[in-house]
Amino acid sequence: MNKTLIYLALAGIAVILQTVFLPLVLQGYYKPDLLLILVIYLGLHEEPWRGGLLVYFLGWCNDGIAGVFPGLTGFVLLGIFLTVRGFVTRVNTESSPLLLLLVIAGTILQSVMVAFALDFFSNTARIWPQMVWQLPVQVLLNFVAAFVLLRLIVWLQRTFMPRKALPGLRKLDSRHES
Amino acid sequence: MWGWWRKNRPLVFAGVLLLTALLWYSVNLRQKDETNFLESVVLRVTGPVQATLDRAIVGAADIWGHYLYLVDTSEDNQELIKENRTLRAVLAQSDEVRLENERLRLLLEFKEAQAFETLPARVIAEDASSWFRTVMIDKGSEQGVTEGMPVVVAEGVVGRVVRSSPRFSRVLLITDASSAVASLLQGNRARGVCRGKGEQLVFDFVLRQEGVGIGDRVVTSGMGGVFPKGLVVGSVKGVNRQEFGLFQEIEVTPSVDFSHLEEVLILLRSSQ
Repeated sequence: MNKTLIYLALAGIAVILQTVFLPLVLQGYYKPDLLLILVIYLGLHEEPWRGGLLVYFLGWCNDGIAGVFPGLTGFVLLGIFLTVRGFVTRVNTESSPLLLLLVIAGTILQSVMVAFALDFFSNTARIWPQMVWQLPVQVLLNFVAAFVLLRLIVWLQRTFMPRKALPGLRKLDSRHES
Repeated sequence: MWGWWRKNRPLVFAGVLLLTALLWYSVNLRQKDETNFLESVVLRVTGPVQATLDRAIVGAADIWGHYLYLVDTSEDNQELIKENRTLRAVLAQSDEVRLENERLRLLLEFKEAQAFETLPARVIAEDASSWFRTVMIDKGSEQGVTEGMPVVVAEGVVGRVVRSSPRFSRVLLITDASSAVASLLQGNRARGVCRGKGEQLVFDFVLRQEGVGIGDRVVTSGMGGVFPKGLVVGSVKGVNRQEFGLFQEIEVTPSVDFSHLEEVLILLRSSQ
């Protein structure tokens, strides 16, 4: 329960950053998708049922402040979560380069799923040409955001909670990586 | 059979979950023009936080700009004094023009500009995703805002309200891919539909034989039932007329600078 509340709080912070702070710093409409990074982290370290339901709920909440299609983000984030879960037994989930790689792959998968859900199911104009143009910038932004977050979290943990370990971030400190 | 089930159970569960989510999304597309319970709760919860933070940021920027970062202030002051003198002279002339304009407007009973009750609102947050173009404003159903109401600024059309909670609403910008505005070219009255394309607009369904020039102004036609007639949408940026086909491809630059959107007007209803 505590963990779930922490995840919900993190998602809330991510949303506030994306809607209020980041638009002031970044030009245009581009902003890193912090919720996607959280979902990939959940995919690496949470149980399928609990994580899946939480991700779907977060997606639905996100639709309250993004776009006009209820259920779209829930579907997309659940797809990303399940895909990550599918790989989780075959990879080293403690590796930070893997998380960065998954953020890149997750961004591409996200845009494919959004384009699929909108172009095949809704009556909007074709969105995929616009997404193709935006994708490289979005991938770069998400990658940089994930990189900065990893470094920041590890630094915060080392400084304020040296005896505690965060799941999945135990070995992300460069001293433990070869 | 049992062996296959045990081996593929996670995959089947994942597939069923994903398919259920897709079906649920598909079912909800029918109600996408209404605010559902969860969306209303999210707006009520995030709205006050976003509004408070937005006010705090504006306040901090104000203090920084007015009291701390005063480089070049003296030079600016001299420039502004000069500019003020010039503007006073221009203002004296324009007062005369304004009075004449008012008289003519009354004479022609041209009251379209005052045909709607307007409600000013502040933009407090942007869309959480990079793929969509919506903004949150600090007015909601308590102030009479409902889904479908047009939102404008002095430069032209901004979008329409798509979600409303008691104190906050979300506005779908005309540049979003799911936005469509019934429009016409002001010069030759050729009709079409302006669709969002990220930062630009595409003016669809204009017949090939219609003459369209760069810079031509595009205004709302009033046909869609959302936007009143005559609001400026943008100006033609490029025209691509293929050898074949019924329609031409027209790219339109919106008249509104959406990256600097701070205050907007909601057109509530006709005052007549």
